[in-house]
This record gives sequence, structure tokens and C-alpha cells, in this order.
Amino acid sequence: MAERPEDLNLPNAVITRIIKEALPDGVNISKEARSAISRAASVFVLYATSCANNFAMKGKRKTLNAGDVLSAMEEMEFQRFVAPLKESLEVYRREQKGKKEARKDKDKKADSEEQDKSREEENDDDDERMEEEEPNEEEEVDN
Amino acid sequence: LCRGEFPAQAMPAVSRGPWPDTNCHVPALRTSVPLPPWEDAPARALVALVKADPDVSLASQEAVYILARAAELFVETIAKDAYVYAQQGKRKTLQRKDLDNAIEAIDEFAFLEGEFLLGLVWFQYFV
Repeated sequence: MAERPEDLNLPNAVITRIIKEALPDGVNISKEARSAISRAASVFVLYATSCANNFAMKGKRKTLNAGDVLSAMEEMEFQRFVAPLKESLEVYRREQKGKKEARKDKDKKADSEEQDKSREEENDDDDERMEEEEPNEEEEVDN
Repeated sequence: LCRGEFPAQAMPAVSRGPWPDTNCHVPALRTSVPLPPWEDAPARALVALVKADPDVSLASQEAVYILARAAELFVETIAKDAYVYAQQGKRKTLQRKDLDNAIEAIDEFAFLEGEFLLGLVWFQYFV
């Protein structure tokens, strides 16, 4: 499935939600301003990725890891992001671990519970696909 | 990955800011990438951005997740910083010029500055 150029911008709904949560109640944002923030976020991601990649290359690795991204944040003078990002990473790792273990239990009774698939959340479905294709801890996004 | 041209009409009608339009086709994504905590399927947009860098061959699941979170923090930060200018102007609506002011005033946002041409070069390099 091909990605359209518009998809290079991060989802509008997400951007809008974050902006609304960041601003006090009753404050609005113009369409131009929101669009500008969205583009700025895209540039931020591109810049951060490139920066993180430099750290990966320095470490002679072909795969970007979370540590590279954190180093990039410092390099880009966004040190204030590092602590909250580390926290999020911990939570994320715990969740991933929990999902893995939940899946092991699920697999044991997989046969008798096939009809439960329709009840599952979207996220679980994606994780299922991921698990089937790559049993490794680290998923890789191929270029 | 293309090195396409940016037609004049894609350029936003403002006096500053490198917000070039991206006219390049991004190749299809391979297989499954776990979604960051964004509800939508278009979280693949973030992955597309990561993939857009020709020097990046692989990115771990964790790296993509952390980038998504960082992007969220960035949006929050820039919105708050821009709002200061709206307040100064006694407005309850954040406008484009508030963004411009924040970007000019704040060092961390320097990477967002520059002429349209520089932004063009930036996007051509990455996309």
C-alpha cells in the first residue's frame, strides 16, 4: 500500500488533541497555526531521526534504538524531553512485556477461543501480526 | 525516494518559515509496525517520516515509539510557547504569527527557521 505525500504529516486529530490539552480552556487555534505546528512537528521528527541515526552510526549499528533518540534530544537541545521520554519508555517496555506474557497464556488456549478474536482490541491484532512475523524483541522498520 | 521539485504554488503565502509542501512519493511500508499510543492507523505517517531519511536503514520498535512521544512533547511545547505571544496580543486564538514569534525568539526552535529555499534543501535531502 503506497503512502501519499500528505501522509508525511502527522495525523491532524492527534496534533489538535495535543494542542488543546496544552492550552488553557477557551483558547482556540487558527487553521494556519495548527497546520504550521503540524509541519513543524514533521520537521522535528525528520531532524531527530537524522540526529539519532548519527549516534547509531557512531556506535556502528544499523538499527536506531531508543537510546539514539534520547541522545538526539540532548543534541538538539531538548534535554527537558529526556526525563519524560525515559519514563514513557519504561512504561512502554513494561506493557510490551505484559503483552508478551499475556500472549503466551493465550496461545495455550488458542484453539478453543478462536471466536474471541473479534472481541480483541485493534492494538492486540497489530501485535499479533507482529509476533507472528518476527519473534525478536526488537521490531525493525525496513527502508 | 524522489528529489522532486516544489512548485511555486506549494509555497505558503507567508513571509517566513520553511513550510515546504512535500510532493514526493514515499515508498510503501513493509509489514507491521506496532502503533504508538495514537488511536489512528496514520501512525504509519510517523514511520514514513522515519523511513524518509535515506541514511536510516532500520529503526527499532522502541525508537519509533520514543520518536512519536517526542513529537507529542514537541507539539505541546511549541503550542505553549506560541500561546505566550497570543496572550501578549490579548487574543484567545493562537495564530500563525504567534508561532513565528516563538520560533524566532526561542533557541531550540532555530532548526525551524530559515528561508524557504533552505527548507527546500532540507526536504530534498531527507525526502
